[in-house]
Amino acid sequence: MTETGESATFALREHTADVAVEADATTLGGVFAAVADGMAAAMCDDVPASGDRHDVSVTAEGREALLFDYLDELIYERDVRSVLPVGNEARVSETAGGWQVAGTYRGVPLAEVDARDLKAVTYSEMDLSERATGWHAYVVFDV
Amino acid sequence: MSDTFDAGDVTLHRVKEHVWEIPQTGEMRVPARVLASEPLLEEIAGDKTLEQLQNTTHLPGIRKYAVCMPDGHQGYGFPVGGVAGIDATDGCISPGAVGYDINCGVRMVRTSLTYDDLQGRESELVEALFANVPSGLGGGGIHEGTVDDVEAILERGLEWALEESYAVPDDLEHCEDQGRRPEADASVISQKAKDRGKNQVGSLGSGNHFLEVQRVAEVFREEVAADFGLAEDQIVVLIHCGSRGLGHQVCTDFLRDIEQTHAGLLNQLPDKELAAAPAGSQLADEYYRAMCAAINFAWVNRQLITHRTRQVFEKVFDRDWEAMEMDLLYDVAHNIAKKEVHTVSEASETPRGAGEAGGGEERELFVHRKGATRAFPAGREEVPPAYRDVGQPIIIPGSMGTGSYVLRGGEHSLDETFGSTAHGAGRLMSRTQAKQKFWGEDVMDDLRDRQKVYVKAQSGATVAEEAPGVYKDVDEVVRVSDALGIGDTVAKTFPVCNIKG
Repeated sequence: MTETGESATFALREHTADVAVEADATTLGGVFAAVADGMAAAMCDDVPASGDRHDVSVTAEGREALLFDYLDELIYERDVRSVLPVGNEARVSETAGGWQVAGTYRGVPLAEVDARDLKAVTYSEMDLSERATGWHAYVVFDV
Repeated sequence: MSDTFDAGDVTLHRVKEHVWEIPQTGEMRVPARVLASEPLLEEIAGDKTLEQLQNTTHLPGIRKYAVCMPDGHQGYGFPVGGVAGIDATDGCISPGAVGYDINCGVRMVRTSLTYDDLQGRESELVEALFANVPSGLGGGGIHEGTVDDVEAILERGLEWALEESYAVPDDLEHCEDQGRRPEADASVISQKAKDRGKNQVGSLGSGNHFLEVQRVAEVFREEVAADFGLAEDQIVVLIHCGSRGLGHQVCTDFLRDIEQTHAGLLNQLPDKELAAAPAGSQLADEYYRAMCAAINFAWVNRQLITHRTRQVFEKVFDRDWEAMEMDLLYDVAHNIAKKEVHTVSEASETPRGAGEAGGGEERELFVHRKGATRAFPAGREEVPPAYRDVGQPIIIPGSMGTGSYVLRGGEHSLDETFGSTAHGAGRLMSRTQAKQKFWGEDVMDDLRDRQKVYVKAQSGATVAEEAPGVYKDVDEVVRVSDALGIGDTVAKTFPVCNIKG
């Protein structure tokens, strides 16, 4: 479940050198947020309830590119604000020129967590597909 | 001994001992080669390394063959341990084939201390290093810089570090390219990348990055070791890290720009992560200049950690670092694409059963090394004068429990691997598996009690992910490199203290 109650799940998957996140949700925005939560889980095992919420907004030419840019933006926010983005919420919509995600996250100060670096999102083996039960995503991150 | 190796969907043919070839088929532009003993090949065939290596051969302008080093394993797009020489005139350059951590690399600092000098002070030293060298997420950097500082670092590399008193001239003389890529251009790097970089100048990061105090455990080639200033029982320091968030962002930015600008080329490739800019295009030129700037940033990053390490040694041992002769042995990149001139034989560009290199024409190539080390032999002009007569030093870090190696560029490296060899032990086990199998505190206790290795980390999970058992046999990796003559074994080192993020 996300913080707004939408059904969404993620799991960390095996990868020889890096880490993969597989996620499912009923909506496209839900699966974006679930992958983002998986990305946070790959960096930190125990997340406290602290931190303020921040907005994030990204546009891109396609849905996969949007997921890539959204996750990249969260990594950027992590580095420049020194917070771990958790409790992600996202809404995805089609625009005249492409796609947009508008979301929020709770930024837990890095000083309060025992967290590891995760370098970047990759396109390698990326899957973003609609299934009978909703949306499915698979993303490999460079560690 | 079989002449073929069946790896499921693909069969490799033995070219000679430790050299296996996947013949050119379908859309492959050249064959692919794996340099490995049979035990290493079985491990390499256990994940998607071979599929990714074959995918690499689809890149336009690739010459001879794509090569996987003995420590190769699955990466993203391009395998880790992959080397590809791609024509700089009619080929392409691929950010994904360099990797996100541009100039992730390693340097070794010598000392005049011996293991006897250090024994009994390991805890003090590891605590002092951990307290003074930033590591992990959000730990900041040694230099609290501005964007102007970042731009100077990007353009001038170690020359900036020298001006700021973080380096001495001898450091530049013992670094690949003297620590500065002249093609670097900060103006083609995004503000986003600079923002990420300015708080991380002089920081280890985490993952497989570390700072390790080591003792020289064994010397294999006495004369070369003497030229490198190494002797048994000597204490050395090994620093492994890269260009941090700045380099990661440069790769991400150009991958996206190339995806949108060169979609036609991308559609010919089997993996989106291999997105490439055609040689001569504006984006190829901009990426090369940006990558060179990120290379400079990584060199400065490792230099600042060297500077801080010298200060820590001064406090712990109560002597000037110069008196302890803490000089840089060498600094070498693992993730890089460089314009280099290589001889490309016609025979090797023919399909199936490609022959050995030799003869042929000289071509300027973008030599992509992703998780691979340049290994130039004696005589090559790119090798610093200090080592030009003996061959370029190669530093191959192993795990916390098995030790590391110093090699020198082998005389066959130019023919076999575009002047390259392995970069480490190579991972065998995923990070999630590692955390299920190992517990960080147990790993640290075991290393200290059984092997006298003192480890201090920001995260116990990182120690579990980097436990000695998750890596391949570094001895076997180095043995293959030596047997092929691409990197000659000089010395083996063993950990004493290790800090990581």
